[in-house]
Parts: sequence; structure tokens; C-alpha cells
Amino acid sequence: MTLDWSVVWQHRDALAAGTAMTFALTVATMAVAVPAGIVVAVLRMYGPPPLRAAATAYVELFRNLPLILVVYWAFYVVPILTGLGLSALATGLAALSLNVTAYNAETFRAGINSIRRGQAEAAMALGMSRSQALRRVVVPQALRRITPVLASTWVSLFKDTSLVSVIAVSELAYVSMQLRAQTFRVLEMLTAMAVLYWLLGYPQAKLVDWIQRRYQVTE
Amino acid sequence: MTAGDAAADAGDRRKAGGATILRYRDVVKRYGTFTALAGVSLDVHAGEVVCLIGPSGSGKSTLLRCTNGLETLDGGDIEFEGTRLARDERGLRTMRQRMGMVFQNFELFPHQTALQNVAEGPRTVLRMPTAQAERRAAAMLAKVGLADKAANHPAALSGGQQQRVAIARALAMEPDVMLFDEPTSALDPETIGEVLSVMKALADEGMTMVVVTHEMSFARRVGDWVAVFDAGRIVEQGPPVRIFDAPQTVRTRDFLGHLGWAG
Repeated sequence: MTLDWSVVWQHRDALAAGTAMTFALTVATMAVAVPAGIVVAVLRMYGPPPLRAAATAYVELFRNLPLILVVYWAFYVVPILTGLGLSALATGLAALSLNVTAYNAETFRAGINSIRRGQAEAAMALGMSRSQALRRVVVPQALRRITPVLASTWVSLFKDTSLVSVIAVSELAYVSMQLRAQTFRVLEMLTAMAVLYWLLGYPQAKLVDWIQRRYQVTE
Repeated sequence: MTAGDAAADAGDRRKAGGATILRYRDVVKRYGTFTALAGVSLDVHAGEVVCLIGPSGSGKSTLLRCTNGLETLDGGDIEFEGTRLARDERGLRTMRQRMGMVFQNFELFPHQTALQNVAEGPRTVLRMPTAQAERRAAAMLAKVGLADKAANHPAALSGGQQQRVAIARALAMEPDVMLFDEPTSALDPETIGEVLSVMKALADEGMTMVVVTHEMSFARRVGDWVAVFDAGRIVEQGPPVRIFDAPQTVRTRDFLGHLGWAG
């Protein structure tokens, strides 16, 4: 077997573009899923009963569906049901966001629950409304406490974006697979892909460790 | 003791002439089948320091928490400055702004510095510009002797310092009455004194205070009026001299006796 690693270098621009798309998807998904996760968590905890039930149903649905199924479903079924024709990118982003929002909502709920009741009471004793107490006192502390968990979710998400390759979003996995098919250099391209994911993912995982140390809660 | 008896005591109630800030009438609070307050009546006049004493679980803290609506009533009434305590969230918020509360466990906001903690109420509730709120906060910290700790987070302060910051935080709202819920119970013995002396200074300025406390010497020395709780009722209330030197009821004598109070 002869190996030809030059194909990797030849297609460096395509791989770089795929990597950029992977990062963009990760950032965009988190940009949606962090605020949306807070909203869902707050609705689930403090919302009026119908919204509370809806938020719970949402979380339990998307937490327990395989992400790849959600991706397929959003791509093939949603247009049939709604007549909406979103681009592959928008569909992929939506599927990732729906999934990660559900996880983030549970993370936030745990974080908010971990802040003892006296904190909200002290805020309300100053004359704050329940939502002011949440915004100014409870959520900022909860965020600090769950930063390590969010960071782990980030690293998982970075790798899970590869699942939207099945609907032809040209992120790193899709680009690598395409190149593999075009060049027939299976081992080289898959190895290049593994190396790229690892080189990008490892520093992020180390950053998570650092964040975990940095944000240890002191009271 | 009934409301009528309390009125009869007005003769030896030094500040009874002041406006009634708080009036409790037959206040009842239940938690499931447990009755925490079984009909409590008490008046608090402007400028008075009213100390609530009695064994743990006798309802003192519950009465304080009912006062600013952290707990809802199951019976009776509380009037604050002549108005029945609001039952709705918005009305309660307006009343809470005029009642400062100090908690046993301080409940400072750990993600904020001492200065930010004290400025939080004026900033968020009174919508004061940050600079102005922080000026007020700095003045309040100076008042409790912690001007030099403004930039510290609560974790970097001793228990006594944290409680003084908590007092400053409540004062920053310029309340008409201060509610203290066992403010020294979570403190090391050596820092209790600094908190009590801040409270004494407040009392000397004429602040109206309701203090749940196990510090009998503070109640005796600083209190204008003392109410003795037992099993959800006030068994005796009167000026500290009478409560401590000539208690009228067996329950009061027992309670003080258990604490080793010589009388």
C-alpha cells in the first residue's frame, strides 16, 4: 500500500474552509442555545403551568432523541409538514440548537437549583421582583457554577457538528468525506480529519480544565 | 398576653408616643399541621428597638419573615405604617423597600464585591445611576466601619465583616425599619461584638428595629421593649428591666433560667 499524504496538503483550502464552518456552527449553536437554555429552564421552573409543561416536554423530547435523527427529521420531514424550505446550513443549525438547548436548559436548571433560597430572599427583601432577583443574583451565580459543564457541552458540540454532514453542510467532516470520495485516499483523508479534530479539540478540552479550576465556587 | 395588655404597658414604654410603624394583630402562621404562630399581637413604635426572644422554634423568625412578606399569613393582620401588608407582589415590593432585613447567614451576593452588594438595591430597585448608587454604598460601608473593604468579595471577609456589609446593604435602601433575624447566631464569638456595636449605633441614631436575638445582654441594654415567645405565642412583653429582672410568667423565668440569666 502506498500512501500519498500530499492530497491533504493539496486540499488544504477546502479543509480550512470546513474547519471554519465547524467553528462557525459551534459558535452559532451556542449563541442560540445558551440564552434559549436559560429561557427554557426559567419557564420550566417558574413559568405558568401550560408553559412549564411545554418546556418540560421539549427538554424530555430532545434530550432523548439521537441528534442525527433530529438532523434528518428537520431536513426531510419539516419541509413536507410546513412547506418551509430552509437551507441545509439553517436546518443543521436548527437541529443542533434544538438539541443543545435542551441539554443547556437542564444544566441551567441544576445551576439555579443549586443556589440556596436565601439568596433570592435577600434580593427580594431589598424590594426586587422575582425576575430581578433571578437576573441580578441567582442566574449570575448559577452561570459561574455551571461554566465547567457548559464548557464540556461546547467540546461535545464541536465534535457533534460533524453529524450535520449527513445533510451536506460543508463542515469539516463533510469536506473530508467529499475529498475521500473524490481522491479515493481513504486512509489519508480520514487520518487528516482525525488529526484536525483532535488538534482543535484537545486545546479546548484543556481550556475546560482551566475554566474548571478558575471558576471553583468560593462562598 | 393580649393586645389590651400591651396597651396597658404603655406607661413604662418610653417611646410609645412615636407613630406605630408595625402593628401585629393575632397573626397566625401554619406549616402543614405545625402552628408556627398562634395569634401574635405586638406594636412597634417609631424609634423603638423591639427584641424578640425565646427558645428556638418558638416563632420569632417566622414573625419577622411574615413582616416583609417572605412568608404569607394564615390569619390575623400586619400593618406597616398604617397600611395593611400588601398581599400582591407589586405592593409587597414597595413595602419591602422601606424594610431592611438582615439574615442569620448574611446572604451577601458572593459574585459581587462588598461595594456592589451595598449598591445593588439602590441600583436595581431604586434605579439609581451606578455612580450615585456606589457613592451611597461607600458611605454606608464607612458607617459600618468597612470603608477599606469595599473592593473585597464576601469570601474574603470575616463573618462579622460580612454581617456588617449585610447591614450596610439594608441601610442603603434608607428603610424606615430594620428587621434583624438572629444577626449574630452564625458568628464566631469574637466577631459578635462588632456587629452588636454597629446595631447599637443604629439604635442610638433612632432607627426603628425589630431584632430576633439570643444575645440577652443586647436585648437588655439596647432594647426598648422585649417580647418573649414560646410555642408560637408571646407569653410576656414589656420593658427589658421588667422582663429580665422581674419576669411575670413561669415560661419567661424558665427560658431565662436555662440561659443562666441571673436576673
